[in-house]
Amino acid sequence: MYAVSEGAIKERFPHRWSSCGASRLESIPFYHAYPGSRCLAIGTLSCNFRCKYCSNAFVAKEDPAIQQELLYNLSPRELVNMAKKLNCSSIVFNVNEPTVSIPSLMDLAEEAKASGLPMGCLTNGYMTVESTELLASIFSFFNISLKGISFHFNKTYIGINFTKPVLRNIRRLARDRHVEVTTPIIEGANDGDIDTIVDFLSEVDREIPWHVFRLLPEDEMTGDKYPDIRAIDAALKSARKRLPYIYFHNFVGSEWVDTLCPACGTVVIERFSLGCGGDKLKRLNGEGKLCPTCGHGIKLLTGTIRDDFNGARQ
Amino acid sequence: MSTAIVDARGWQNTFDLRTGDEVKAAGALVEMVGGVLQRHPYPGDMDPGSNRWVTDTGLDLIGRYNPRLVFLTYAAQYFSGRYTPMTKEDRAKMMADAFLEVERFLSISGFSAIVVGMGDMIPLSGFIDATALDGLAVCTHWSARYAGLYGPSDEDMKILRGHPHIQKIVHRDEVVRLFDGSAQEASQVPEYLMLAREGYAFKTTAGAMRTPARIPAFNFDVPLHAPGHSIQAITGIFGALEQGLATRNMALIVLEGVGLHDFLWSHSPCRNGTEWYYYEPGEAQYLTITTGEHRFLDYPTGSGYKYLDKKESTTDYPLSGLFKSIPEGTFGRIFPGRSIAVGNKSMFMHMVAGADLSVECFSRNMHNQGTMAVIHREDKPR
Repeated sequence: MYAVSEGAIKERFPHRWSSCGASRLESIPFYHAYPGSRCLAIGTLSCNFRCKYCSNAFVAKEDPAIQQELLYNLSPRELVNMAKKLNCSSIVFNVNEPTVSIPSLMDLAEEAKASGLPMGCLTNGYMTVESTELLASIFSFFNISLKGISFHFNKTYIGINFTKPVLRNIRRLARDRHVEVTTPIIEGANDGDIDTIVDFLSEVDREIPWHVFRLLPEDEMTGDKYPDIRAIDAALKSARKRLPYIYFHNFVGSEWVDTLCPACGTVVIERFSLGCGGDKLKRLNGEGKLCPTCGHGIKLLTGTIRDDFNGARQ
Repeated sequence: MSTAIVDARGWQNTFDLRTGDEVKAAGALVEMVGGVLQRHPYPGDMDPGSNRWVTDTGLDLIGRYNPRLVFLTYAAQYFSGRYTPMTKEDRAKMMADAFLEVERFLSISGFSAIVVGMGDMIPLSGFIDATALDGLAVCTHWSARYAGLYGPSDEDMKILRGHPHIQKIVHRDEVVRLFDGSAQEASQVPEYLMLAREGYAFKTTAGAMRTPARIPAFNFDVPLHAPGHSIQAITGIFGALEQGLATRNMALIVLEGVGLHDFLWSHSPCRNGTEWYYYEPGEAQYLTITTGEHRFLDYPTGSGYKYLDKKESTTDYPLSGLFKSIPEGTFGRIFPGRSIAVGNKSMFMHMVAGADLSVECFSRNMHNQGTMAVIHREDKPR
């Protein structure tokens, strides 16, 4: 997605998008940011990882040069106008990895900021310190995929040698940006990392929402056994005592998608999961960010979106 | 209450279909249907065993529920044909395999069948890019012929009317008049409906990232195999089913992605719409077949466009796609005898067939998550 031209690194396909459409934030997934609101979901092409189970392999793993005719060619202003026409309250980059398209996203962020539209993204968090700061200047809310901790898992399933940069960047972004974390679980591969991940997240911020995904065996894992839902649920038992916002989903009908008050256990936000990017807000119980029963504060990026957006940057 | 049982491979959960609330359903029928789901994991939309799954699941349900009416949808050839470039020979084999599955079902079940193909697929010639308008063009990526248009400027209309691959732009009033719609129904229809020329598909927001190799052709007529009946339009299938059921067990079998060119059995062309409008594959086409009436205005969103211009009025039926109520007048709801439906084309069989029991794949954008069964009725005697 980048090339060296006249001694400088340049983006090869600026302002070309593989997707652009309205979606609910829950379906991205963001469970603790602007509940029930609609976002313009966008993506480009390519990735810096090569996961064996990629659900968007036809975008992330294909040669971007041969896909150009299929793309949307939309300027930052056109994208922002599209978001407004579709009554979207934010723009979320969610198909592939944002670090492969940073210049276009910076241009878009400028236009979005002028219109009061916050931007969020899904990312694997595998980037330099400098890139992390660039992303922090573009996006105010993140869902970072912490795929595993062990060397073997990362080498075998993701194609990287270590997760140190990911952990460092989660720490950094959680300081002043809204961060949720997602981990797809594959039995026998990274379910042994659960406790280590919980140790790490609880040290960063025990109120980080953690999405545990039941992995759908796709791409190079097509034909593999589907991970066992009951076994993963059981493996999360002790983790639930340490992190109050754990969600286990990515399959239809999950019963682990509601937000419970960490203090008294009241169901504060109810959701319905259709799996694979189809989650929906079902009911908000109570007003604002407080538990309707005990008044405990619930971690939520909400209020008027403009306020939160500006606030995140202070 | 209608009960939904979802099976996400090795794990089942049960819901009130309307509210989406988890329920503790029990009883012989729930157990039986749960067992059927367990025995028949869905192999996936593009898997060679996808159509076999329909036959096997249908036969299993017949053996345990003893229905007189069966709805089956076979869609593997639609998905594979849509996304996989194929040689003529491969395509012919795929079609032959689909018909073999139907034959297998009929020979084992002994049911008499009405078989309808939902329309031909042709190679994609190109996209009509409708993203850079002052107004808003909307369609689903499954649609080719139609896109809704909202708030176009004069400049937009000038560009669109002069576009070489747009055949026609129809005002809402004309659409509503065509289907004799009410003011309430008119509000569901976009300001304008754009019609593409054959081979072209609209590109609007919400386009899928997968580019189709083939898209639906101009299917003004679709093939119908209904021995002993003379049926001019898909709205006539309802009457033929009714007539057949007076004396025997009947199966209505739907073959997705199969049109007049590929239909291998004796058939006659059957009108698939009215005047300039024909149905593309989707909910409205099914509803028209299963109710015997044009149901475009009941479900315009399924025909290619949906504009999320307002807050959703209800969160009811979260497992039923864009449906917000159970459609009235479907054959399965009216028929007093026992009925079942099985399909591998998305999650709407339980709504469009209205059968007592339905089993369908639960695939969203071809991501295979498992299966879902819906029990609408459990009070019918054997």
